[in-house]
Amino acid sequence: MDIGPYVLQLFSGLSRAMVLFLLSAGLSLIFGVMNILNFAHATLWLLSGYITFSIFQFLGEQFGASPLLLLPSIAWATALMALIGFALERFLIRQTYERELPEQLLLTFALVLIVGDLIKLIWGVENRRINLGVEPMEMLDTLVNPYHFVIVGTGVAVAAGLWFFLHRTRFGKIVRAAVYSRSMVSALGIRIPMIYGLVFAAGVGLAGFAGGVFLPLLPMALGVDHDVIVQCFAVVVIGGFGSMLGTFVASLIVGVVYAFSILFWPDGALAMIFLIVIVVLIWRPWGLFGTELRY
Amino acid sequence: MSAPEVQPGWLARHGLARPVAMAMLVLFLLVPLLPGEYWTQVSTEVLILGLFAMSFNLLYGYMGQISFGHAAFFGVGAYASAMLFVRLKTAGGSIGMLDFFLSLLAGPPVAAFAALVVGFFCVRLTGIYFAMLSLAFGELLFYIVFSWYSFTKGDDGIQGLLPPLFFQDAVNYYYLTLAIVTLAFLVLWRITESPFGYIMRTLRDNQRRAAFLGINVRLHMLINFVIAGSFAGLAGALWGPFSRSVNPGLLGWQESGVAVFMTLIGGAGSLIGPLLGSVIYTLLQAVVKMYTVYWPLTIGTIILLIVLFLPGGVLGLIEKRLKARRSAGDGET
Amino acid sequence: MAAILEVTNLHKHFGGIHVTRHVNFSMHEGEQSAIIGPNGAGKSTFMNLLTGYHRCDAGKVVFEGRDITNRSPHEIARRGISRAFQVSSIFVKMSVAENVRSAVHAQMRRSFSILGAASRIGVEETGRVLALCGLESKRDLIAGELAQGDKKRLELAIALAGKPRLLFLDEPTAGMSIEEARSTMELVDRLNRELGLTVLFTEHDMGIVFNHARRLTLMHRGEIVVQGTPEEVRANEIAQKVYLGEHHV
Repeated sequence: MDIGPYVLQLFSGLSRAMVLFLLSAGLSLIFGVMNILNFAHATLWLLSGYITFSIFQFLGEQFGASPLLLLPSIAWATALMALIGFALERFLIRQTYERELPEQLLLTFALVLIVGDLIKLIWGVENRRINLGVEPMEMLDTLVNPYHFVIVGTGVAVAAGLWFFLHRTRFGKIVRAAVYSRSMVSALGIRIPMIYGLVFAAGVGLAGFAGGVFLPLLPMALGVDHDVIVQCFAVVVIGGFGSMLGTFVASLIVGVVYAFSILFWPDGALAMIFLIVIVVLIWRPWGLFGTELRY
Repeated sequence: MSAPEVQPGWLARHGLARPVAMAMLVLFLLVPLLPGEYWTQVSTEVLILGLFAMSFNLLYGYMGQISFGHAAFFGVGAYASAMLFVRLKTAGGSIGMLDFFLSLLAGPPVAAFAALVVGFFCVRLTGIYFAMLSLAFGELLFYIVFSWYSFTKGDDGIQGLLPPLFFQDAVNYYYLTLAIVTLAFLVLWRITESPFGYIMRTLRDNQRRAAFLGINVRLHMLINFVIAGSFAGLAGALWGPFSRSVNPGLLGWQESGVAVFMTLIGGAGSLIGPLLGSVIYTLLQAVVKMYTVYWPLTIGTIILLIVLFLPGGVLGLIEKRLKARRSAGDGET
Repeated sequence: MAAILEVTNLHKHFGGIHVTRHVNFSMHEGEQSAIIGPNGAGKSTFMNLLTGYHRCDAGKVVFEGRDITNRSPHEIARRGISRAFQVSSIFVKMSVAENVRSAVHAQMRRSFSILGAASRIGVEETGRVLALCGLESKRDLIAGELAQGDKKRLELAIALAGKPRLLFLDEPTAGMSIEEARSTMELVDRLNRELGLTVLFTEHDMGIVFNHARRLTLMHRGEIVVQGTPEEVRANEIAQKVYLGEHHV
């Protein structure tokens, strides 16, 4: 049997899983802590991709093109996105905490349209991609882009870091406590608004980071965010709102199932994902690793 | 959840439901007097999407659940009707009057059946889970239509849905749409003002309490889901011959978002709100697109402003004005 | 007199905690009695079990000779059991009259009427219930905007619209002024006396309990400790220890 295509799909699936994880982790945290479902999360991810591209290009012009310039580009883009996230929470999202769910959805949905169109306004309709010029590696009967390893490694490292942060640091513990009971945390004398701002900034920062990291692998294109966000919802639902472990496992499931489905049913791969979502929601509405909370 | 932004049913309470509906009907009747076909076409779109949004509001404004997959039924209705249309078409590419109406009639029952299956599962959940499950079903149906090329023509969509010669005239098709949407509106009005319609409101406000009144909550929700789905299917059926084609995008979540937008812009508290929302949304789109390609940016900004400064939509704003005037008149605060 | 409600060996635990344990309880037709007990005694859970909101782990509930154990809330409501909640559980965005009217429609089995006019069905019955509960003048107000006492009265009205033969009231006077509490309990007495409605209520105010209940059931830690007339319970030693010892009234 020729295992080449399977190996290729496995790597592509794992990479996809990592990006989904980086996005969904923020999405899930934001939802867990402040009950806001951020429709614009993937659009901000896309924005970060374009921003990273522009920084990379700018640095290239200044210092001469080099693949290593990707590192500062990602760092700058991540910081910028975190700042944007903080500002969004402070000036927009905050207005809707006391409102009903549909209005909150509507607000972030409006951001999808606004940010998506701003990207078009600034960068035009052309796709953006960074070519690092890395030679594909030959392994297991096929050629694999070694950058896959970078992405998977980064994803796992971030997951581990996130786990450490949430379970071993004071701030992380506060954030986790806020997922379970906001009133409790505020009774402890912790300033909830600050927590919200920082969590939103961190979530958007993670998305921004993912946008930069993924750039050498797949081009950034207008409208991609619309597909990615519903896949992130799928991840969060499968894993369970607010559960980091669940989000990680669900990312792997979605990424890998998607990649292998492509081999058998190219146009319907996403249908498989939504089938899984439906089964999970019917069987365990709170997800594989979530607990029955709120609603 | 927080306090409601809109007091539902206030139009009726002010005795305004009938006058507003009549005024809108008169305005709609006069549209073809405007020069050129453009505004007639835009108004046809207003009506079809308005019907779609009103059907969505049966779930949202009346039953209290937000569906992000409602476009699936709009799309299924459009496809069911389009596929029958294509079968009934003669070799010459034209369709007989009777066959044309037959194809329109195919939309609602097929959409209702889809809603029955999807709703069976969705009504077991509420809130964010209801929204997510409806989204997942909608996307599933979208990708099935998208990828089942031999049956649905996939991404290509179904083209050449040219109605009979008489209805190829924009004004005639507009009046046909107006007649059907008016009829649908009257039926929807009866439903929302029926005991069943008020039971829906009780489910929106307090499902647990409704159960203790002897209401089979899931069964009532399911029936409402099917009704909403079939009216969305009717809107979808009208869409095909209007745009001469159908495509998988009609089932996508962005299309569901349009219904949500219209409902929130117009106000979810009344039946006519979403229709008014469609007037605002679609007209605005028609005007903005004359000047710029950045329509999403424009509508996004408008929605942002509405959410921030105009909770309750346009009708909500009018209500506040009315209330203020009334209390000023009474000398009360 | 025939027993309208017969509960045998009712058992319920959440996780490892037994919230009701071996509860045996019965009511006669036309009886008006109260369940008392300190917070967490299992009173609300008991009502939730009887009305189908929680599933029983073991035991049997028989109402008017028919087994209703673990039936769903709506089935139990249709058999003729209504309940009013401690925290008023009304339809906040609807008007007072619409609240009651929908409850009347449900009782008339007209909830599936899709094309009928709601405003013309059950009008008299709605008016009667509103009058009974003294809510006529507030019929067009939005339920969510009512004062606390009126909300509780609407709560009772919704329960009565179901034309129950057995009525559960969970803390019917909580949050009411003394005057409101008095008139509410007078209404309950009247329903019991004139219509023969069987009433079971929980109440914190011992004054109300001893004035309005002809039989008392004292619960503690999920078990029934004492049952009897107010005098018997008052005189009971265990009861004093469990309950009166903690709450001097």
